Amino acid sequence: MPKIKVNGQEIEVPEKSTVIQAFKQAGVDICHYCWHPGLSIAGVCRLCMVQVEGMPKLQIACNTEVKEGMSVNNTSDVVKETVKWGLDFHLINHPLDCPICDQAGECGLQDQYMQFGSYDPEMAEPKVKKSKAVDLGPTVMLDKERCILCSRCVRFTDEVSKTNELGIFNRGDRSEIGTVQGKPLDNNYSLNTVDICPVGALTSKDFRFRQRVWYLKEADSICPGCSTGCSVKVHYNEEGVWRVKPRVNPEVNGHWMCDVGRNTYKYVNLKSRLLSGKVGKRDLWQEVSVEDAVRSAGLKLRETSPDAIAVVYTGQYTNEEYASAFKFFKEELKVKNVFHWLNNPEKVNEFDGLLFRGDRNPNTKGLENAFASFGAKGSWDNLQAGINGRKFKTVIVFGPEDQSVFPDLDEKIKMFSQAENLIWLTACANKSLDSVGGETWQIPVKTYIEKAGSFTNFQGKVQDFKAGTTIVPQALSVSEAVELMAGREINWNLRPRGVGGPKTNYAVSDRGEL
Amino acid sequence: MSLVRKPSAAASWYLPGILAGMWFTFVKMIGNILNPKKMPTLNYPEEKYEYGPRFKGNHVLTVKKDGSIRCTACMLCATACPAQCIKITAAEHDDPTVEKFPISYEIDVLRCVYCGFCEEACPVDAIRMGPEWQTAGLNGSKFAYDIQQLAYRPQLKGGVVSVLDDQERHQAGI
Amino acid sequence: MQVKLLSEHYDKPEFQTLGGYERHGGYVVLAKALKMDPNAIIEEVKASGLRGRGGAGFPTGTKWSFLPKNGEPRYLLCNADEGEPGTFKDRVMMEKAPHQLIEGMIMSSFAIGCKKSYIYIRGEYTDSLRIVGKAIQEAYKAGYLGKNILGSGFDHDMDVYSGAGAYICGEETGMISSLEGLKGQPKLKPPFPAVQGYLRKPTIVNNVETLAAVKYIIRDGAASYRKHGTEKSAGTKLFSVSGNVQRPGTYEVPLGLPLKVLINDICGGLKPGRKLKAVIPGGSSAPILTADEANKVTMDYEALAQMGSMLGSGAVIVIDDSNCMVDMLSTIMHFYHHESCGQCTPCREGTGWLNKITHRIAHGHGESKDIELIKKVSEQMMGKTICALSDAAAMPAISFVTKFRDEFETYIKKGQLGAGGAAHA
Repeated sequence: MPKIKVNGQEIEVPEKSTVIQAFKQAGVDICHYCWHPGLSIAGVCRLCMVQVEGMPKLQIACNTEVKEGMSVNNTSDVVKETVKWGLDFHLINHPLDCPICDQAGECGLQDQYMQFGSYDPEMAEPKVKKSKAVDLGPTVMLDKERCILCSRCVRFTDEVSKTNELGIFNRGDRSEIGTVQGKPLDNNYSLNTVDICPVGALTSKDFRFRQRVWYLKEADSICPGCSTGCSVKVHYNEEGVWRVKPRVNPEVNGHWMCDVGRNTYKYVNLKSRLLSGKVGKRDLWQEVSVEDAVRSAGLKLRETSPDAIAVVYTGQYTNEEYASAFKFFKEELKVKNVFHWLNNPEKVNEFDGLLFRGDRNPNTKGLENAFASFGAKGSWDNLQAGINGRKFKTVIVFGPEDQSVFPDLDEKIKMFSQAENLIWLTACANKSLDSVGGETWQIPVKTYIEKAGSFTNFQGKVQDFKAGTTIVPQALSVSEAVELMAGREINWNLRPRGVGGPKTNYAVSDRGEL
Repeated sequence: MSLVRKPSAAASWYLPGILAGMWFTFVKMIGNILNPKKMPTLNYPEEKYEYGPRFKGNHVLTVKKDGSIRCTACMLCATACPAQCIKITAAEHDDPTVEKFPISYEIDVLRCVYCGFCEEACPVDAIRMGPEWQTAGLNGSKFAYDIQQLAYRPQLKGGVVSVLDDQERHQAGI
Repeated sequence: MQVKLLSEHYDKPEFQTLGGYERHGGYVVLAKALKMDPNAIIEEVKASGLRGRGGAGFPTGTKWSFLPKNGEPRYLLCNADEGEPGTFKDRVMMEKAPHQLIEGMIMSSFAIGCKKSYIYIRGEYTDSLRIVGKAIQEAYKAGYLGKNILGSGFDHDMDVYSGAGAYICGEETGMISSLEGLKGQPKLKPPFPAVQGYLRKPTIVNNVETLAAVKYIIRDGAASYRKHGTEKSAGTKLFSVSGNVQRPGTYEVPLGLPLKVLINDICGGLKPGRKLKAVIPGGSSAPILTADEANKVTMDYEALAQMGSMLGSGAVIVIDDSNCMVDMLSTIMHFYHHESCGQCTPCREGTGWLNKITHRIAHGHGESKDIELIKKVSEQMMGKTICALSDAAAMPAISFVTKFRDEFETYIKKGQLGAGGAAHA
């Protein structure tokens, strides 16, 4: 491995790496736009200029391979001056409409200009006008003026998604990003172009204008969208969760994630959630506290003989939750009838070649492991017959967190509801559940953003994640629900406050007449 | 640090102090009756004080030349607001040159501390602190000002036009 | 003064056809070359000191020897995308002596072991396209191209490709992109074309004149070719002389000829009553020379480099005192702004910026600080981009405003032409 000096700091870098990678490894800041570790080298922004000892001209760090004994720096006056001017060149035709721009706050141009820029631009000519708010497809909007033509998005559609929708048209400062003959940018990875856009030229229609990024906090998590289990960042604030972005994880998802995974934040928010326990049957619902609901469900379970209980699992819960649930049902209640509810079994092995898998559960593998380690066999057979034959009096379902990936949900709810008692743990409210005939308990549970735990992805890789924020404070994790069902106590005091939903000027509504 | 002074023995007899105070008031009253022009107070509400033009009173949202709202919903005012009394909901405008505009802009003036940070934060002269200061109301909800109130209340006579015009800026090539 | 190697038979219309070309000794040298060892040809070209005639002046033999020494397929591309303003030598060659180019190319291909070559002709040169295309067909028919050329066992195919009118496609990697069917944009180097070029195979790109000159080097031997020109700039060079001279045109002279001689004796001098103001010696991208400098300089790579200019493609643009330098710079900047491919930021934005400043000055809205600004912007554009277009725009800008600063200052002060006496064109 060659040893090189970066700003005087000696480091050892892997063979064939480039100078910019050496800078990143050394933790030295270097200005750049077009270089992206997940894409090919374009070398067009000309900002990662470095001085290599022994070379007369400045070199771009992204296309210079390291050599043994090389000494590079980006702190000399020449480099600094060049980067200053390089940034000024970028701003010549940039509209500087930061107030309207959604990227403001996480913008490469803003950040790097603040760090490396000259602060005293000499440009006083009229700017080139291009079209704004161009609809590129179902997910992305383009602002041609803001674009600095780093070509990251073009390279992404060329190299990663291999869909080739985007291209650069025209020459010189009239160059602009566009799609060929109006063919929309429509693929399952389109929003990655928004992530890698260093400026606000490409914006997500879903997130556009909904929040300013500086109001958002981020938490690391694992995408529950499919069995790939991409590492993600969840962006939230006191009003709820706003978006999901990929987190670099070379072993699973690299730098990318799919658009389907980005939608997983939607069902987490207050609007679609079940906010309290519900006990009763059709038209006779009673909203009760979560504790009451879960305790009475537990009572019912303990009353029923173990052979008359059927436990139905979906692959949407964490390994830890499975462990506690299995422990309770298998070892305490001695229930033998456990079932694995696999949605769209015919698509389970589908794969789009990049990230997205047909198994839309984050933890199918984890559930299978749990079955194996508790010596149970999860299958789907006998369930229908058992319910119809009145063998199963009480059915407890660990319902899907993301209901949209269970296409047969309504049908199955109807089937389950033929049992005398149905206990349903669900994160989201569900209309079909409200209309079942039998005695039913609906117990709100936490979503992936609200709990800590681990998912086992399709490779068998166990990935831990931490709780981000709390949307519904009443919701329980399965482990907590099981504790309560078993008649034990949990510490309610440690539960965090939930978010308030859309921000209101709260005092106004409460003031009344003065 | 406060200084506690022991009252003198004479002062513990309150009557002389009261009488001295009444005498002073009486003299002033006579003086004011004889010479009302020198009176330092106003007969509010018949008479009102004229504040300087830079007085930070109730907020005004400025408008463009065509009368539409100038605000671009950048939320810098809401970010700068120390009382967190500004609530903006942004939306996509039909006109791509406008792009973003507020469909709702609310200021809770009862929380507002009239610091003027919003005015300073605004990059497009969309919000100003106006000269009005009489904000009485009978109901709490009267103090949540919406766009209608902030930009088009009758006192503004159709709206205050912002100094920053997008059309002009576009023509100047900015 | 004139030494006619390449342009010897320009005046004979029959030279355009295969018959006429053969009558004047055409394809005889090819037969000789095909009997030689390819490496010997490369050595001969190296020994001749032939340097690229397209603009950069890189030694041709050395360039050829960069090719990997394996059996990998390789390509020879002839750069006939003559976009440099002021240059027209290649067009004249292609129209008057297409077979000379083809013969040179077959020989060069043989030397580097290439089985397929392309002539990339500028889109606007419709006549050249037609004539070269026809000549290639003739050569195929006569067995100079195709399988087993002249019984030597060497196969070679040649094709003509028309550009679409982009200056940047005259840059070698830009040309390769264009030929590959991509947008004509220069590619990042390294890898260099000699290692990874057209279709990611080793590729040599040479100018029309360079390839044609190979024929004469093989014919007469390197030593004989070296007799012309100077020590470091050997051989003859075609100069396209244009501008305010009596007889503009393409002239072949040995390198090292004083510019004065070229203008005054060969081209008949300036129009009567006019004074020499400046000369652009190597196409619009070369830094301009003042009259004093032009009178001193000799036309070879080294002497011009010493003057801070360059030989470039050999396009000599003669400017007399009837021209306004501000107007001229603004025209040149308009050209580069129009032709920048838009890939690298300093060039894309810098050419646009320079264009706006110079146009503003030319329209009488200049400010005194603009001259310094032009210099600063140009300096920051130099050597900062993938290809040399940025430098090509920056160099004339810097040289114009430094060498004719007075004129720029007067123009800016008066908002129009100064006391220099020149009138608006």
